[in-house]
Amino acid sequence: MNVPALMDTALDDLLGRIRPVLAVVMDRRRGAGAGILLGNGLVLTNAHVAGRGRSLQVVLEDGETHPAKLAASDPEVDLALLEIPVNGHGAAVLSEGTPRPGELVFAFGHPWGQRNVLTGGVLSAVTTLRGRHGEIPVLRADVQLAPGNSGGPLLNMAGEVIGLNAMIFGGDQSVAIPASLLRGFLEKALKKMPGRQVAEGVL
Amino acid sequence: MSNVLVELSNSMAAAAEKAGASTVLVNARRRMPASGVAFAPDLVLTADHVIEQEEGITVLLPDGKEVSAKLAGRDPGSDLAVLRLDKPAAQPAETASQARIGALVLALGRPSPEGIEVSLGVVSATGGPVRTPQGSIDRFIRTDTTPFPGFSGGPLVDAEGRVVGVNTSGFGRGIALTLPADYAWKVADQLAKHGSVQRGYLGIRSQGVDLPAASQKALGRDQATGLLVISVEKDSPAEAGGLIVGDLLITVDGGQVTDHDALFARLSGEAVGKSVAVEILRGGQPQKLTVKIGARS
Repeated sequence: MNVPALMDTALDDLLGRIRPVLAVVMDRRRGAGAGILLGNGLVLTNAHVAGRGRSLQVVLEDGETHPAKLAASDPEVDLALLEIPVNGHGAAVLSEGTPRPGELVFAFGHPWGQRNVLTGGVLSAVTTLRGRHGEIPVLRADVQLAPGNSGGPLLNMAGEVIGLNAMIFGGDQSVAIPASLLRGFLEKALKKMPGRQVAEGVL
Repeated sequence: MSNVLVELSNSMAAAAEKAGASTVLVNARRRMPASGVAFAPDLVLTADHVIEQEEGITVLLPDGKEVSAKLAGRDPGSDLAVLRLDKPAAQPAETASQARIGALVLALGRPSPEGIEVSLGVVSATGGPVRTPQGSIDRFIRTDTTPFPGFSGGPLVDAEGRVVGVNTSGFGRGIALTLPADYAWKVADQLAKHGSVQRGYLGIRSQGVDLPAASQKALGRDQATGLLVISVEKDSPAEAGGLIVGDLLITVDGGQVTDHDALFARLSGEAVGKSVAVEILRGGQPQKLTVKIGARS
């Protein structure tokens, strides 16, 4: 069995699926972060990337820039949902599995403004952070991250989103919001948006 | 969706889970818990420098049970310590004897009750013997894993979940090293039995010297250096074995003693009480003596 060749094929496949659904989220004054497409013009990112939603823009893989509207935001879990006036660029898939410490992960984002950068590591810990209203479940990984990774996905080896990268500690430790929390936030946000739905298979 | 990446990922997670079942939290200093690895149902190996109190030590097992423990022994030289649990409730780890350079490894710790923590890397280098701030270690492994706070005393694990060593950041200057499992387990056995690490003792002072070509010819081997005996302590194992000032030490127990570190390596704890062959040059002539190695007090 030629393992490196099999790995190359698996990597190509994973990148081919995830690259189109990774977006740049820009705010002219606050710099840029990342976001993931959920279909039907919906983009998930961090609340601290979206800010108050003034003059937000989303750049897609094809280089096209679109104005974005802040549809929902929850600073407590650092998540925001944006709307853009385009559709048909695919959608990320949220993992339904239980995150396992030691499993391999990729972080995908735009560290220091460099587009579509992949960094690898393992899921370090399934833990909690103290929030304003109690403990928040988070994932920690040993992937290298930098400003610009915020709002980008933490992926498992099947290319599913297991978390949204939200914070960086000292370069070698990242904190991501787990898929279960992303799901809860989306369900709550979509309830207030009649007629809007993420693409099939996302949740 | 399964492919070779997913399979590798599942293997690494399974490895972390398997070794995690033997990785415990060690509460033996204020505020900052550290990690440990069980090597018997009632014995936990950890780092010496994380033991800041000898009273009130507790160990948190992977199933969430907290067990009281006593310090069974410690060796600052290798930064290893052994705790004896009041109840034999731990799951001993499986060990691997080899750490291949380039092999994927996981550093594991249990610095909080929330669960194990993991970082990924490869075996970067192996080396030793090397002096440490308070002694020496025979061998070490270096990796590029990230030593998260509280990882000292935790295991380094191979892709099959076997323990290849014990991690420590206790040798200062921010250097994280791993003590190979077979070495660490030997130290642990001594600590569990005697409370400290025994070191062999000869009772000589010596100086490194070049061996002249004629001497090498007389010995019938290529050995460029040896140790010149410059004093022999009274009532020492060396005196009892017949060593005198001016002898040139060539081999001890079959191993060439080309310098002090080489001799030191021959005087490990296991050598204590053993009668070993000592090859010397006396007046240019090879001779063999037998010396019963003592214990350094």
